[in-house]
Amino acid sequence: MIRGVSLTFATGGLLTLFAFISVIFFPWLFTAAFALFASAFIPFIPLAVGIFADTLYYSPATNFVPLFTLYGALATGIVVLVHRRLRTGII
Amino acid sequence: MKRTFLAKRNGLLSPTDVSWGVFALTLALVVLGVRLLAPNFFWYVFTPVFRSAETLSGKGRALFSGFENAATLAKENERLQEENTALTLENQALIKKEASTAGLSLIKEGILAGVVARPPESPYDTLVLAAGAKAGVTLGQEAFGGGGVPLGVVSSVLPDFSRVTLFSTHDFVTSGWVGDTNLPISLQGAGAGAMSATVARAASIKVGDTVFVPGPGMLPIGKVARIDSDPSVPGVTLRIQSTLNLFSVAWVTLRDTGTTFSIVATSSQP
Repeated sequence: MIRGVSLTFATGGLLTLFAFISVIFFPWLFTAAFALFASAFIPFIPLAVGIFADTLYYSPATNFVPLFTLYGALATGIVVLVHRRLRTGII
Repeated sequence: MKRTFLAKRNGLLSPTDVSWGVFALTLALVVLGVRLLAPNFFWYVFTPVFRSAETLSGKGRALFSGFENAATLAKENERLQEENTALTLENQALIKKEASTAGLSLIKEGILAGVVARPPESPYDTLVLAAGAKAGVTLGQEAFGGGGVPLGVVSSVLPDFSRVTLFSTHDFVTSGWVGDTNLPISLQGAGAGAMSATVARAASIKVGDTVFVPGPGMLPIGKVARIDSDPSVPGVTLRIQSTLNLFSVAWVTLRDTGTTFSIVATSSQP
């Protein structure tokens, strides 16, 4: 949660649900953008969406590593650090 | 002013962040577990979801086109243009086949397979097909779209589902020919349905030239959409676009062509 912006339990649920649904219903660029937006409220969303996208679409024949899980983990790591600094008032 | 240390404020994450985050991660890991342990069952569960997504997007398009007559006409025009392109390519392929495979009967019936998942929802250039080993699909078979346009190669097979790696996948190398003189080229996948190739500047390839790949005979795979030229380099780079819109492919035909590709398909886990 960003300082000054509160997130209700229901809104969190909707964000999580929509992030997962967008992996199937929308182009991956939209999904990636939405996951980054949702990460402002729920930091683990990019990682979860990355795992889910690779579960559906990753093929070892095309890529050696599941790229979207890696990108999701990277985004989550950055967001967690930013959240921590925002909460403690360092930024 | 000196801030006092509060464990709650200085914690890495708040309880609300963690609760939904943990739920999302758990859900993703459970789905991953099901796919790894029971891949065929996994695709049985997700196929109706992908089908409903396709139906919804179709209804959305129909709804918007209902408001605007011009949109309906534009869509109809687009469909007719696609059909015309497919027929033209089919005609070209038949002419080439007639010349190169005269006296041979190499064309087999093939397996018709519906497409479950495709780009752009899929970030990788792959198609998931609703036909697998039970329907006779085997690793290395080639997938063809409407008009006999080659799209890719079967890279993994399950009993009821299979996955096709498209020729436009990054680092996928295919041999082919371009232009009226059938200049041999090496096609390299560039992602999102695009490919590229490098030829000598003197080859005089122009935008709109058809690119062919081996199959039974020579099969049209795409057209030269753009030519990038750098004066300091002796060659030019051809940007090639598939003639079929890969984002709307609804079915493909699978058959053995006897052609080998640079990416060897070995996986049994799509």
